[in-house]
Amino acid sequence: MVDDPDVHNGVNDARHFESCPACQARFKSVAEDAQSITSLMAAPELKVDVASAFNRVQAAPAARPKFGFRLPVLRPGSRPMMLAFAAAVATVALLATALASGDNIFTPSTVTPVPVSLADMQALSQLSAYGDVSWTTQPNLQIVTSAAEAQTISGLKPPTVNNLPSTVSTTVTYAAMPKAEAVFTFSKDKAAAAAAQAGKTLPALPAGMDGAKLTVTVGPAVAEIFGNMKPPAAGSDVTQLSLPQLVVAESSAPVASSTQVTMMQLEDYLLAQPGISAELKAAIKAIGDPSTTLPIPVPVEFATSSKVTVQSKYDGVALGDNTGVGAGVIWINHSVVYGVVGSVKLSDAIKIANDLT
Amino acid sequence: MNLGMRQVASVRTDDESFEALFTAEYARVAGIANRVLADPHEAEDVAQEVFIDFHRLHSASAQYAPAWLHRAAAHAALNRLRGARRRQKRELAQGADEGAQTLDPQKQVEVNEDRRRVRQALARMAPKPASVLVLRASGLSYAEVAQALGVGIGQVGTLLRRAETALRKEVTRGTSL
Repeated sequence: MVDDPDVHNGVNDARHFESCPACQARFKSVAEDAQSITSLMAAPELKVDVASAFNRVQAAPAARPKFGFRLPVLRPGSRPMMLAFAAAVATVALLATALASGDNIFTPSTVTPVPVSLADMQALSQLSAYGDVSWTTQPNLQIVTSAAEAQTISGLKPPTVNNLPSTVSTTVTYAAMPKAEAVFTFSKDKAAAAAAQAGKTLPALPAGMDGAKLTVTVGPAVAEIFGNMKPPAAGSDVTQLSLPQLVVAESSAPVASSTQVTMMQLEDYLLAQPGISAELKAAIKAIGDPSTTLPIPVPVEFATSSKVTVQSKYDGVALGDNTGVGAGVIWINHSVVYGVVGSVKLSDAIKIANDLT
Repeated sequence: MNLGMRQVASVRTDDESFEALFTAEYARVAGIANRVLADPHEAEDVAQEVFIDFHRLHSASAQYAPAWLHRAAAHAALNRLRGARRRQKRELAQGADEGAQTLDPQKQVEVNEDRRRVRQALARMAPKPASVLVLRASGLSYAEVAQALGVGIGQVGTLLRRAETALRKEVTRGTSL
């Protein structure tokens, strides 16, 4: 018998209850226990002024939705990996920017892996101090629970996974973002100040680079996050949070354009930064057509990569292995970048990618 | 252009949804925190922090919004309860505040002492049983408790019974220390 007082247990249960002294005694004892606990947990009276409270919350600076979102994967053990991942994402944006041509717009149609070390990431991430970033359209990533909502926000239909491995939960959360656009303006003075602070000597800035503007458009994007993720409760212990098991993402390929400097000047300048490894330089130089290839940075300390063909026709980059610890596949189909990443075997990730519709 | 307009529309809807969510849930969220802390002022602080956190990270129209808020209120308040320094401060404030209102000083002392022992016991309990007690005592239905804690509704009764036993044990332990 269910002891939930709000539940009507039906005629049969009610009849049984009336004629069963054991059930009556149990129910009475449960009710008395509950009552005694409720009185034990009595609290002083609370009178709330909802309107004033709402005004206070609205006035708090953090009450406005911020750029980005806190991924619920901040287990202390995975922090180095997450930092590497964040740095890798930043590197993609920077490399995409770097490859923007003065005359041509960077519109990648294929992907290729480039090995990136932590030192490379550190060197490249400092580049953001060499100028000013302003958003002409602020990124506005939202977490929603239905595919329809995600589509309304992003304008993209979330891809359908047709062969989810049995080890992955069928519970899905969606992340969606409309198109966002940022303009980065190089500043000779800022670059010099940042270098001085880091105790470095910078390579000479190409002529005309001071004041050069790089416009980068990212998104719209939509992602399906599979896993029984319990949303992070305020003040909760981060170790109690669950990791997403699989993320399937779809984003319009980033588009970048620049003024005043040419692609070759930018590329040379970025690769001349102190700390950039010879491997990364060689990999970037080896890219055949830089205006149409999106470099996928592979953190060499953490992951291995290989080239794969997705859906029998698209060149893709595969990351990870078949241990099930982590794997991913990234490819571009008609100017849309797709990614399948998660704690699955690489063979499963490739199967999902091949059957994605 | 269409995208831009859609974005604006989406933001506006989310702000409106947040206000509606706040109006609907604030009293209950503050009530949950008050049930834990036995301090209305601190409870409102917790409730507002919980809403700020929620608004920063989630869409107000998300179906899980009320459940998230209830659980977050319980967890955040229990975390505060475990902060020793704040607890002492609160007890002093609580004693002074309530002492001034009572007509029977002896009875008020007993009430305060009971509340103090129960809150100490709650602070010593594991988060899940403590939360189930707090949420139920705050008037949430079995279904709401189940949603907030991410458990099946059929488990709530059993969890409650176990949590009640654990609380009694902790209160007794606190008394005998």
